Amino acid sequence: MKNTIFIATIIFGLFAFAKADAQTKKDRDQFEVQVDGLGCPFCAYGLEKKFKEFKGIKDVKIEIETGDFSFSYPASKNLTMDAVVEQVKKAGYTPNLATITRANGAVETNAKETVAIKQGNLTNSELYVNGKCGMCKARIEKTVSDLPGVASATWDVKTGMLTLEHDTSLTTKKAVANAVANAGHDTKTVKSDDATYDALPACCHYKRTK
Amino acid sequence: MKKFLYLIPIVIGIISCEEKETVPQEWQFEKVVELDGVNPIGVALDGNDIFLSDGDHNRIVKVDLDGEILFSMENFERPMHIDFGEADMEITDKISTSILKERALFIPEYGRDSIAIMRDNKRDYLIINDSLDAPAGISVYDNEIAIADFYTNRILYYNGSEWINFGKEGKAAGDFYYPTDVQITVDNIFVADAYNNRGQVFDKTGRFLAQFGKDENFNAATGIYVSDNEIFLTDFENNRVVVFGKDYTVKQILKTNIDKPTDVIVLDQQLLITNYRKGELVIFKLGDKLIKEKSKSEDPEHENHNH
Repeated sequence: MKNTIFIATIIFGLFAFAKADAQTKKDRDQFEVQVDGLGCPFCAYGLEKKFKEFKGIKDVKIEIETGDFSFSYPASKNLTMDAVVEQVKKAGYTPNLATITRANGAVETNAKETVAIKQGNLTNSELYVNGKCGMCKARIEKTVSDLPGVASATWDVKTGMLTLEHDTSLTTKKAVANAVANAGHDTKTVKSDDATYDALPACCHYKRTK
Repeated sequence: MKKFLYLIPIVIGIISCEEKETVPQEWQFEKVVELDGVNPIGVALDGNDIFLSDGDHNRIVKVDLDGEILFSMENFERPMHIDFGEADMEITDKISTSILKERALFIPEYGRDSIAIMRDNKRDYLIINDSLDAPAGISVYDNEIAIADFYTNRILYYNGSEWINFGKEGKAAGDFYYPTDVQITVDNIFVADAYNNRGQVFDKTGRFLAQFGKDENFNAATGIYVSDNEIFLTDFENNRVVVFGKDYTVKQILKTNIDKPTDVIVLDQQLLITNYRKGELVIFKLGDKLIKEKSKSEDPEHENHNH
């Protein structure tokens, strides 16, 4: 008899725990962000620290190799996609695909609709962009790839040369230079403003030419 | 004839004296030790035992020179540059406080803003009346402790009786831009000033004495180790370890199989370098400078690759 009561108590406890856990998950939104350029562990762990500043954040996980970053947050606070993307950028990182699975099951992403680029209109261009590390590479390539009419963008860490395929009627080289400057990277023709440069993570602070 | 007999031992003596002339030594690549699933950031030695902080996996592991994990301590929050030492410091297990009076492993936890102290399986935390923000390196020397605090750009130093701190964000001599490692020696405190791309030296009042590596085009000077005769500074993005003499001039640049190095330490006649990204230990050994490579190896830009 004693054994039966003991086992029943354990089963009841497990049910209660499972229910509480389900309830907790039901009350929380799940966030998954793919982040580029987590090359240096000191800066990558910094991203994790930045998000810990959000009160109520839990289950923070970051996979350095893949750049997969995830956490949960109270649904009642309705943390928006823009706020998440901004916080990642504020920390100096480059967010790619972000997905929010709301507690009610709704799914949101920041995936953009791609505009078809006519292959015949593409031009190959090269542009010197100042930077110094893997995180710079991720930021520069993402910034340029997001511009309309850009089919591909590759930046070489050693030479600083950006090679791109683009439709010049949609995005000119000048527009590319402006975009990377707005992201913190100088070119020969357009300089980033000091505040933007200063906000780059420590490992991205390349030597500026006057 | 007698004169000749006198001359023979003199000549032999002269020859043997010449043979005993010391040959310059240098670090030579020996081997790469693969670590299974470990991304090492810091390395520390307890006798011949090798301890690594595995920041990505929030643990400390003890490995042998074949890379086998002998045991693992889990549940740290981003452990960084670790050190063994013995210091009479106040510690807490979060319930009660006590004085540490035995040799222990000191583990800066970057994600928890604290210093964990491990001996056997017991874990305590160092009591500091100051707040840390991402401690990245620690050094324990007799009763002294120094901590490199990443986000506050400071070194916190306990001199055996009181804590002081020095440094601020900047690029001038004595400033820091994200310090990641530190080592106390008999007279000085050496700092890896990571994103100022240099090493710096201070006296034990925090007064700036010297900087080195500024002209070597470092790209993230993340780890530092000071031996009796040399200073080793890791160059994370350039995949190198630069060896300086005590006069801060470059003696040798090590490159072979070094990839994203974060820390370095000397074990007997061996130099152990942690390859963070690949999860490896690269081992160099001290050997006689090869005569054939003389012209090449005297140029500090070239490591001797003829092994």
